[in-house]
Amino acid sequence: MARNDLQGSLDLLVLKTLSQRGKLHGYGIVLHIQRASDDLLRVEEGSLYPALHRMENSGWIGSEWALTETGRRAKYYRLTAAGRRRLRQAEGDFEELVKGVQAVMRYS
Amino acid sequence: MRLWRRIINLFRRERVEAEIDAELRAHLEMAVEDAVRAGVSEEEARRVARVRFGNLQVMRERTVGADAALWVEGLWRDVKYALRQMKKSPGFAVTVVLTLGLGIGGVTAVFSVVYAVLLRPLPYPQASRLVVLHEGIEHFGSKADLSAPDVVTYQRESRAFTGVAGFIDASYDVSGKGEPFRARAERVSAAMFPVLGVKPLMGRTFTQQEDENGVPVAVISYALWKNRFDGSRGVVGETIDLNLRPYTIIGVMPRGFATPSGLGGIAPHDLWVPLSLTPAEKAAEADNMDYGAVARLKPGVTMQQARQDAARVLEIVQARVPGARLSISLRGLKEQTVAEARPLLRTLMGAVVLILLIACANLANLLLVRAAGRRREFGVRMALGAARKTLLRQLLIEALVLSVTGGAVGMGLAALAVRWGAGTLPNSLPRMHTVSIDWPVVLLAMGLVCATGLVCGLAPALASAKAEVMDSMREGGQATGQGRSQNRLRNALVVAEVALAMLLLVSAGLLLRSFARMLGTNPGFRPEHVVTAFVGLPKESYPTQEKVDEFLQNLRERVGELPGVRAVGFASNIPVVGRNSSRLFAAQGYVRQVGEEYSMASNYLTAGEYFRALGIPLIEGRYFNAADDLPGAPLVVIISQSLARKYFAGRDPLGTHIKVGPSYQNAMPKMTVVGVVGDVSDNPLDKKQDVAMYEPVSQAAADLGHYARMIGVVGSIHAVVRTEGDPRALEREFTQAVHQADPLLAVTDLRTMGQVVAATEAPRRFNTWVLTSFAGIALALALLGIYGVLAYSVAERMREIAIRIALGATRADVQWRTLRQAMALGATGVLAGLAAAMVLTRYLASLLYKVRPLDGFTLAAAVMILLACAALAGWVPARRAASVDPMRVLRME
Repeated sequence: MARNDLQGSLDLLVLKTLSQRGKLHGYGIVLHIQRASDDLLRVEEGSLYPALHRMENSGWIGSEWALTETGRRAKYYRLTAAGRRRLRQAEGDFEELVKGVQAVMRYS
Repeated sequence: MRLWRRIINLFRRERVEAEIDAELRAHLEMAVEDAVRAGVSEEEARRVARVRFGNLQVMRERTVGADAALWVEGLWRDVKYALRQMKKSPGFAVTVVLTLGLGIGGVTAVFSVVYAVLLRPLPYPQASRLVVLHEGIEHFGSKADLSAPDVVTYQRESRAFTGVAGFIDASYDVSGKGEPFRARAERVSAAMFPVLGVKPLMGRTFTQQEDENGVPVAVISYALWKNRFDGSRGVVGETIDLNLRPYTIIGVMPRGFATPSGLGGIAPHDLWVPLSLTPAEKAAEADNMDYGAVARLKPGVTMQQARQDAARVLEIVQARVPGARLSISLRGLKEQTVAEARPLLRTLMGAVVLILLIACANLANLLLVRAAGRRREFGVRMALGAARKTLLRQLLIEALVLSVTGGAVGMGLAALAVRWGAGTLPNSLPRMHTVSIDWPVVLLAMGLVCATGLVCGLAPALASAKAEVMDSMREGGQATGQGRSQNRLRNALVVAEVALAMLLLVSAGLLLRSFARMLGTNPGFRPEHVVTAFVGLPKESYPTQEKVDEFLQNLRERVGELPGVRAVGFASNIPVVGRNSSRLFAAQGYVRQVGEEYSMASNYLTAGEYFRALGIPLIEGRYFNAADDLPGAPLVVIISQSLARKYFAGRDPLGTHIKVGPSYQNAMPKMTVVGVVGDVSDNPLDKKQDVAMYEPVSQAAADLGHYARMIGVVGSIHAVVRTEGDPRALEREFTQAVHQADPLLAVTDLRTMGQVVAATEAPRRFNTWVLTSFAGIALALALLGIYGVLAYSVAERMREIAIRIALGATRADVQWRTLRQAMALGATGVLAGLAAAMVLTRYLASLLYKVRPLDGFTLAAAVMILLACAALAGWVPARRAASVDPMRVLRME
């Protein structure tokens, strides 16, 4: 069975964001998810940073320090090959979850 | 990679933290900037961002946690904490570490020996395919080795083996270059090396040709090569003089190479020469069954098939000796190697397991007591929000740290013990020369350490994790309520400890009693003031018995003239060492019962004043005298008292006759019994003794009639010299006398008879010593256990005791109550131990001598000692209980 917990979906969101946007810092990730979901999803910073560091330790994402457009130093994250594999898996898991939930909702 | 990163992060925690701080701050600033750009005041923007962030500190912690593999660091913190705790209560720490060190050290040391002797594979490839052949003759008690012609038959006829190799121990005087010495050698078939599957380090081994034609070639051991030839590469091709005959060295065996030996098991030798059976040896059918035979099963051949094959060959052998019923048996080489040592090693292992159990019980008890004492600390910490899991982990780590420290101490002790033991352990243990601490042993010890820590740490950890916060706080840390079940557990542990200690004490007591009995055994001769030595006369310069007798006469005169010398004698063997040769005999008028074994006696060929020199008393008749040595003198024999008692029951043996061989009806010459002497122990004193018969060396050949050829010349002789003063002082003069008689002879085994006897006592001395020290350790541990429980119970009940005293209980009362508790624990343990001893000591029977496994004296002594220890262990806490000052204790509440 797929691993369908909330942490899994946060990972999925972060990985997907990075795959779509390339290099991004934590704040950028928060903004992107908020914007892309039409303000439906708001990622808590309190969960985001531990998750980022955990994923970095797992080798799914890499990081480097770089300057932002406003000239501020920030830590930028990007997807690694392992992260890309992980993303594909997470996407599959998520689709299954959705299908499963829908099936339950439609059951009569 | 991930792990590496985490490890690196451990060392850079501060940098990681700073980096996370910077990252979070950047996030905050960007959020504020965006908000300001959207028209919010900076102050408001900052507030909103902060609120969104929540507690920055907590978040940082969580982020660091994800980063730095917090559990590893936490582990390290717990270890440091545990070390600090140990420093805070050194008494507890030292007790635990010593308890474990003794337990684990003992296990490791003994296991090293057991591993080397029993478990380590024999040093041959596919050693499990090696088997040893034994022949048996009906009516003979023991399984014998093979006779020389039978070795040849099995070599030729059997099909189940890749090869059959015969072997027989031999010793040679090595002369020529360097100091003459006596080499432990072995005559082996050419097949020996291929059968064992070991290639020489350099050179080659014998060929079949060399073996059959008696070519004088030798293969030498690594040790001999190093010591005598300085490890020179050119040694192959050099000659070495063995019994004055030059042998060409053709090969050097690798270090540690050992061959199956006549003593059972495998043993290192100095050198090997071809078996090259002489015509006389090949003719000696169904006699002289002195040759060992080792063989390797062909691939795919089972033991069962090999047995059938051997049985088939046996029929060929049987056809040659119609008189006797032979049998053949096969046994794994390994099985035979370890058979003799098994009871001793089992006992040692048993003792060590007991010690370890006691040590574990003690450790568990100490940790339980300690956990109970720290309930308040844990209560407080849990009230302050420490997770139960964290506390559990910490307790566990404390137990592990203690175990590992104890384990390290134990390994140190084991290393010392093994080094010391390698020099002290009895030679009867096979492969003793290979004992060292090995990796498997280390792994086992480490496993034991961790298991001990986990088991003993888990029990108290679980017990205290159950502790309810409020309970422990409310009780003011006295932990009285928690008591019952935990107290019962602790009492049970102490009782078990005492019982186990009792078991060990009884075992040690039994061995001590056996040892005392052995020391008290009269060897049948007076070893004081006697010096003995071995002289081997090489066949080349002493080809006939007359020559040998002449030399002995010469030596006897020379030694007899030395100051203080009372008597000089010679014999083919000396008593007590257990290397006596035995012989079939038939006593005139003795009728063998149906099914009774043939009559066997240890036989000694003597010359000179052998009996006087050793102090063997004459019961009746006479000793041998010079007239017996004259050519053509009537054949005479002297028998031991037990032989006379058994075979001449109710008759006067003097003047009756004895023949060599299985039956009195055969054509062997008659020997007249001229004397009966006292029984002499020919085996070590604690072994079964045989009956004995003595013949003059000068008549040895004549006694055998037409078999005389078989015995050849008796040129290997032990001298015994009785002196008035210190026998040691005589040793040098004796050697000089030998060299005056023949400068080429090597004198070996030059010792006093006292030393000879002491050496035969060594194995038992060792067993006894080991088991007694185990019992001592067990006793000390049990004592500690009782003391620990009582000391804790007194500390715990301080208030109750104070109230009792305040209410008028006398101090004697209080003291007696505590002491009674100790005695109750001790007595229960003793009873349990006694019950266990009743059942288990019978397994010691094979190690005992003249003591029954349920020896009343030993049991009583063990009970007394343990009860005394219980009283002693209870005494200190009892005194403390009695000296409680009620006012002070109650005021402290």
